[in-house]
Parts: sequence; C-alpha cells; structure tokens
Amino acid sequence: MIPRDRLGFAWTALTASRLRSALVTLAAAIGVAAVILLTALGEGARLYIMGEFSQLGSDLLIVLPGKNEKGGGPPGMIFESERDLTLEDTAALRRLPHVNAVSPLSVGAIQVSVGARAREAPLLGSDATLMQTRKLKMARGEFLPALDLHQAQAVAVLGPTLARELFGTASPLGEWVRLGDRRFRVIGVLAEQGTSLGQNMNEVAIIPVASAQALFNNPALFRILIEVDGRARVESVTRSATRLLTERHQGEEDFTLITQDAVLSTFDAIFGVLTLSVAGIAAISLLVAGIIIMNVMLVSVSQRRSEIGLLMALGASPALVLRLFLLESLLLGLLGALAGLALGRLGVLGLASAYPGFPLTTPAWAYLAAAGTALGAGMLFGWLPARRAARLDPVRALTGR
Amino acid sequence: MRTSDLVRFTFGTLAAERQRSALTMLAIAVGIAAVVVLTGLGAGLQRYLVSQFTQFGTHLIAIVPGKANTTGFSISVIDTQRPLTLTDTQSLLDLPGVAAVTPVVSGSLTAEYAGKSRRTLALGIGPQAPKVWSMELAQGQFLPEDDLTAPRPVVLLGSELTRALFGASNPLGEKIRIGGMGFRVGGVLKSKGQMLGIDIDDAAYLPAALALQLFNRDGLMEIDILYDQHEHADTMVKRLSRRLSERHGSEDFTVQSQDQMLASLNSVLNILTFAVGALGGIALLTGGVGILTIMSIAVAERRGEIGLLTALGAPSGLVMRLFLGEAAILGALGGMLGVALGLAGLGALHLAIPALPFAPRLDYLLIAEALALLIGLMAGAWPAARAAQLDPIEALRSE
Repeated sequence: MIPRDRLGFAWTALTASRLRSALVTLAAAIGVAAVILLTALGEGARLYIMGEFSQLGSDLLIVLPGKNEKGGGPPGMIFESERDLTLEDTAALRRLPHVNAVSPLSVGAIQVSVGARAREAPLLGSDATLMQTRKLKMARGEFLPALDLHQAQAVAVLGPTLARELFGTASPLGEWVRLGDRRFRVIGVLAEQGTSLGQNMNEVAIIPVASAQALFNNPALFRILIEVDGRARVESVTRSATRLLTERHQGEEDFTLITQDAVLSTFDAIFGVLTLSVAGIAAISLLVAGIIIMNVMLVSVSQRRSEIGLLMALGASPALVLRLFLLESLLLGLLGALAGLALGRLGVLGLASAYPGFPLTTPAWAYLAAAGTALGAGMLFGWLPARRAARLDPVRALTGR
Repeated sequence: MRTSDLVRFTFGTLAAERQRSALTMLAIAVGIAAVVVLTGLGAGLQRYLVSQFTQFGTHLIAIVPGKANTTGFSISVIDTQRPLTLTDTQSLLDLPGVAAVTPVVSGSLTAEYAGKSRRTLALGIGPQAPKVWSMELAQGQFLPEDDLTAPRPVVLLGSELTRALFGASNPLGEKIRIGGMGFRVGGVLKSKGQMLGIDIDDAAYLPAALALQLFNRDGLMEIDILYDQHEHADTMVKRLSRRLSERHGSEDFTVQSQDQMLASLNSVLNILTFAVGALGGIALLTGGVGILTIMSIAVAERRGEIGLLTALGAPSGLVMRLFLGEAAILGALGGMLGVALGLAGLGALHLAIPALPFAPRLDYLLIAEALALLIGLMAGAWPAARAAQLDPIEALRSE
C-alpha cells in the first residue's frame, strides 16, 4: 500500500461513520480549545499586571528603610528603623552619576476638607521630580514647583477623584483646601490613572515634602525613588547607591534597595506558574478525549473484524494493519486539534472583542502544546486498538468466530 | 416491564460490552476525579490559611489608625495626624469583656551582643501580649507588668535570634543593645515558625513605649485585643469603637474582628475553589461527549434488538427509558469511580505535602456525583430518543 492509499483507507473508514468521528473530534476539540482559551486568559492577566507596573519604568530603584538579615517577610512590610531615610540622603543620592531623578517620598493619611466637605485621604510629600519618577500626568494646572528640599510651601496637587469629591464640577485651581490643620492652595489636578505600586493615585493629595514632614512632625521618609539613566545602568547605580547610603548611615546597611525588575520578575514567575497550571488542568480533558478515542477505536476494530480478516487474507502484514488503524486514530486526533484550534481562537477573539482593554494573546507554546497533546493522545490511545487489530487471526476473523 | 427487569436488562447490556462500558466510565471518572482533587486542594488551602490566621487564638480584635481601604490596609499605619496612642490602649483595659490588650508597633532594628550584631524584626508590645497571642516561653519570664508609658528596658527574644546572638550560652539576664539602646534579656520564646511568610522567631519583642522612641514615632500601628469567650464579636467591636470615638472625637480608626477577617478570607477562597472546580468541569464535559458517542454507537449496533422489542409491543417510552437508564448508569458509576480516584489522589497529595490538610469537601463530592449522573442523562437523551423513534420494520429489515 502506498501512503496515499493508506490515507484514503483511513479517511474512508472515518467518513463511513460520520457521527461517531464527529463526536470524537468534538471531544478532542473541547480539550484543545480549553487549553488555548485558558492560557490566553492567564497570559492576558500577566501582561495586564506587567503593563500596570512597567508604566513606572523598569529603570526605577526604590529605597526603603530597614532590613532583615534573612530577608524574612516581604520587604514592603518594613517601614520603621532606628536610622531614618532623610532628605539629606536624598540630596546625596542626587549627586551620584547616572541618576536622572531622585524623589523623596513621605506618606500618611490626613483629613482633607473644603468648607463642610471633608474626607480622609492618603497624603504624599515629595517634590517636582515625582512627576518624572512616577510617570504622572496632569489634567489641569501644574505639578509641584521646583523647590529646595527643605523648603515648605502651601501648595497641593490633587488626584482627580479627590478633586471631584471635594469640589464637584467646579474648578479647584487656585482654591484653598485644608490638610489637617493647615491651608494649602490647589495648583494642579492629576489626570486619571490606575494604581501604581499599590497606591491608587486618583485619591491622593501631593504636597512639598518639607510641608508633609511638618504636618506629620516626622523627618523620616517612607521611600526614596531613584530613576536611573537607562536600564543597563541599574545594577551599577544600585551598587553605588548602597555604598553611599551605607557610608552615610555609619557603615550600617539598614535599608533595602529593590529594583523594579525584581518586583516584576516575581510577578512574572507567579503568573507563569499560574498559566501553566491552568493549562495543565485544561489538558486533563485531553486525557479524557484520549480515552474516548481508544474506546471508539476498540469498538471500530471489533466491528470491522471481517474487513481486517480480508485484508490479512489478501496478504496485508500485521504491521500494515497496525499502521492503518494508528493512522485512523491519529487522523481523529489531528481533526480534533484543528477543530480545537479554530474553536479556541474564535473564543479568544470573542473575549477580546467583549473586553477590548484586556490584552488577550495565546502564547505560541500553548498552540503547539495543545495540538501536540491531542495528536499524541490519538497516537498513544490508538496503540492498543491498533495492536488488537494487527493480532487478529485472519481465519477466525473471516469466519466470524 | 417491571422496574427490576428494567434494571437487570440495562445492567445486562452494559455487562455484555464490559470493556466499552469500563472505558466510558473511566472517561467520566477522570473528569470527576479532577473536580474532586481540585476542589479538595482549594479547601485544603483554605483550611491551611485559616489555621495560620487563628494560631494566635480566635477571639481577637484589631484596631488600626485611619480608615482601611478595600485591600484591608490603612495608609494611616505609616503616618497620620490622628495616631493611636499608648493611653488609648490603656483606656480599653477596663472595658467589660476585654481579657487582654497589647499595643503593636513593628520595624527593623539592629541587635548587638558581645561584638555580634544582627538586623532583626523588632516588635513593640505590651506585657499582656503573651495572653493575646498565646505566646509560650522557652525560658525566663515575659515582660514585667509595668506601666505602658514608662516600662523598664527588658526584651524577649525569638529562638532564632537567640541562637544567632548567644549560640549555646544562656542569654537570661544578659545586657544587649537594640537600636543603640540597652536592654536586659528577660526571656526566650518558644519557636513558632513562620506566620504568613514572616519569620517570627527571628524577632525581638520590646516594650512598645521604647520601640516608639527608637522608631521616633508617636502612633501605634495596631492595638490587638483578646476578648472573653462568651462575648460576641460584634458587640465587642461596637463597645471598643464607642470608647475610642469618645476619646478621639470621631471614628478615625478601623476596628476589625478576626471573625470578619476570616469571613472575607473564606469568601475569596470559596470563589477560588469554585472556579478551579469549574475548570475541572471542562474534562467532565469531554467525558459527557464520550457517553454520547458510545450510546449512539450502541443504538446503531442494536437496531435489530430495538426493532424486535418494538415489534413485540414495547412502547417507545420503554425503549427510551432503557437507553436513558444505560447512559445514566454509565454516568453514575463513572462518577463513583471518579470520587474514589479523586479521594485517593488527595490522600496521596497529603502524604507528599503534609502541610496541606486532607480536606475533601462533602458538598463538592455530592455535586460531582450528581453532575456525573446528570451528564449521563443529558448525553443519553439524544441517542435514546433516536432509538425510540426507530421504525420497527425498518430496523428489523436491516438485520
């Protein structure tokens, strides 16, 4: 038998029982489509989160006070230490080479009020550089003016949600707001933007760092943000910043430096595992599809005993019979894979049009793995039925005993 | 046909095609097993997390400064103009139902002894903290019952920190420096291991007033309260809020009982478990297609038999019931096999990872079994209807 004839033989066998073949194809297709759809969701979630974070720029270094020897506990937990991060530290860091911008950051909660309207809001104390390090955009007015780090000034920039809640539709520019027990003039409103570094920037008030320190009566900084001149220099700046701060802190490394990349790679790893395990769960249905292929092929072998007997009587070797039946189950797997790819792709496109903001892409490996697993299942589970067909005794098969 | 005959007939046909029936059941069983294992994992994770949260006792209430946002974190913990103070803590002591109160402030400090130094987690607490958190001593004593605002410089050490600083020698009564301040070691705590990723054995527990001084801050991060067993969490939350509101003039803090925290944790994890179970359900769908395939093959193969039955006067309803019954039995038996497989899988996982409790959810087991039966019925409906509609003459002629 030439390969074309073999293919024709298997194809005829499949189309002879159309319903059965269609159902088995459907079973395999469900599994393949599930893998493709779920990996697309997982990958989409990963890209979405990464996008949120990389808005900040991957050339950002974050300095936080305190350090644990064993690194026990998430570094974000620490915000107190005996030696504070100070404005002088900030000024010293600014003198390092390859540093674009260094922003001091002090954070706290404060009562914000305009007339009778009042609410509690997160207050950020920083300076003009924060606009660059946190990639902020203004909706109206201006950001904080460039001041000396120690110079307080009664001006504030509000997040859009906070501005709306305090002023309604009226323009807040030039108006006074009361932060705690002091008055500040609103000079700008931020544009709508998402959460960055776990802080919803739509609800904050931002004032000069010296004014924030006076309000809270606390000279300690919560964070120092460093924007490095180019991603390639992140490592060298990390080293020089560590050396500088250690020197300034009487030779003690009582602070922690984290890079944006470190945070990102953690997320990356978590989401990678998540996508993989979800795909694995979906692949269980491919196992089920394999069992169904085996079942149907076994039925097919027992129904076609006389046909097999005839083939063998005409001189077909057991190896040929084996290959014929294997080809048939492989074809089932292939059909299932193709239908599943189409179905999964359709589902992804449907979801993508329903949620345009969400980046949905199936990674290439998922297509390959899903289709490959379906084909593999066809091969693997087709083996037993094919072997049974090949071992048939032609005489017995033909006499129907 | 009597019901007993019906059952015997159905089982008879299934047994006649033993291999085929077994494989069809296996296909369903894999799906059910996936659902059982995945929901079991979800429930196990839930039980693990709950036990992590409740290892300090269950009758706890935490007060943090400011209003907590949706993630449960209050930015006022970092800095606020309306801090929670040590005198706030003291004012809660005499409330009815309050068993013990401790202030909490944490950070990172350097502990030094005899030339050795180590950066460690520093927790500022009160003398009642052992009661609130059910801490246990390995040696020595807890913090002395001093006035919260004027404590003596005594420190408790975690077991890991003790080992790092003192090695095998006895730390009790020794003078150590923490954050540059001199302390006398009053006791060493029993090892408690990690709590949600934070190693609480590598920690120093010092009086809150001194910790505040070292950190140069005036507000606490949290006040933890243990209340009496017979009190209700909600009434305690109200009582505590009222007392603090009176002192502060407004409710500029958040009171949260452990019950509330556990409730929100549980609801999140329930959704997660359900979602994972639903993912496993995809395999179940595939298994349903398997039943559909096998039943339609059976109907095609047994045309003669069906024709004979109808010719002998069997109503089409009976033929339908016969095939439907077959499909339902395939589903139900496959489901049972799957539950057994799933439980075995969970048991094996528990042996491999002892930290993960063996927690099959009975409700999910029952739902899975019912689902298997339902899928069998649904997958059987179409072939059964086809069988019932067969024209007996046509069917017999094709024999």
